[in-house]
Amino acid sequence: MESPISEPVLLILLSLADQPRHGYAILKDTEKMSDGRVRLSTGTLYGALRRLLEEGWIARFKEEDNSRAKQAYRLTALGRKNLQEELSRMKHLTRVASLRVARKET
Amino acid sequence: MRSLYRSLLHLYPAGYRAEYGDEMTSVFLEAHAETADCRVMTQAIFGVRELGGLLRGALREHLRNITGPYGSALFSTRRLSMHSEFRFPKATVSLMVIILVGILLTIDKAKSISASISYSRPNVGPIHAAQQLMLLPALLIILAGACVVAVIAWGVMFALQRSGLHRLSDVNPAGEQRPSGKLSI
Repeated sequence: MESPISEPVLLILLSLADQPRHGYAILKDTEKMSDGRVRLSTGTLYGALRRLLEEGWIARFKEEDNSRAKQAYRLTALGRKNLQEELSRMKHLTRVASLRVARKET
Repeated sequence: MRSLYRSLLHLYPAGYRAEYGDEMTSVFLEAHAETADCRVMTQAIFGVRELGGLLRGALREHLRNITGPYGSALFSTRRLSMHSEFRFPKATVSLMVIILVGILLTIDKAKSISASISYSRPNVGPIHAAQQLMLLPALLIILAGACVVAVIAWGVMFALQRSGLHRLSDVNPAGEQRPSGKLSI
């Protein structure tokens, strides 16, 4: 099993899971998904986007207005597969944790 | 604000700036416009967060350029899984950012001093032979020190590479070892 994904990267991938988004839309969506707990700076966001692009987890989304300042990103098949694996890992961990906590309470 | 942000982007390597600079500026301006009507404290927090993100990002990109393929594991999308003895304390990142800022300020100060000194001033001139003799050992010591630091840094990078992802990636959260045929230490 691969090592886990960091929380900001997980939120970025989740943000791109349903539709392609621009940088600012990703910032707002990650903040919304985490109830305002995770607020990414532009430096952190683009550092993560660059690594995700290099590893082929996301790709640039081609639009009619494809200016440099308004670039959208989309999740690739590899990114979706890795995201699903990560969610399975988290589900498994949550299930084990719930069982352990419940056992301790009884 | 735009010009300030653009000038801070110069902390990044030129290639990165050319590829993402416009996008980052555009996103920053949108985020900044949103805080325009907020309290001063909210704006200050936003500014500190952006500055911190830029400094960390610039440092990461420069390190990435320096380390090349050896550093790829350090900058992977996945978390860096390491043995505890090789884990950096969180304070290291802050310390490195402070050092980077210190270096940049020193360079800036040196430039301003250099610009303020006139070439015709008699106290500043070519180094004499006697001064050169004193200067040479000091330069050698600095060079030797730099070599030692470089070797230690390379050793740390190598240790991180060897002790990190490829070993712990075989372990799952349930604590079971995947049969990989490798001996995990």
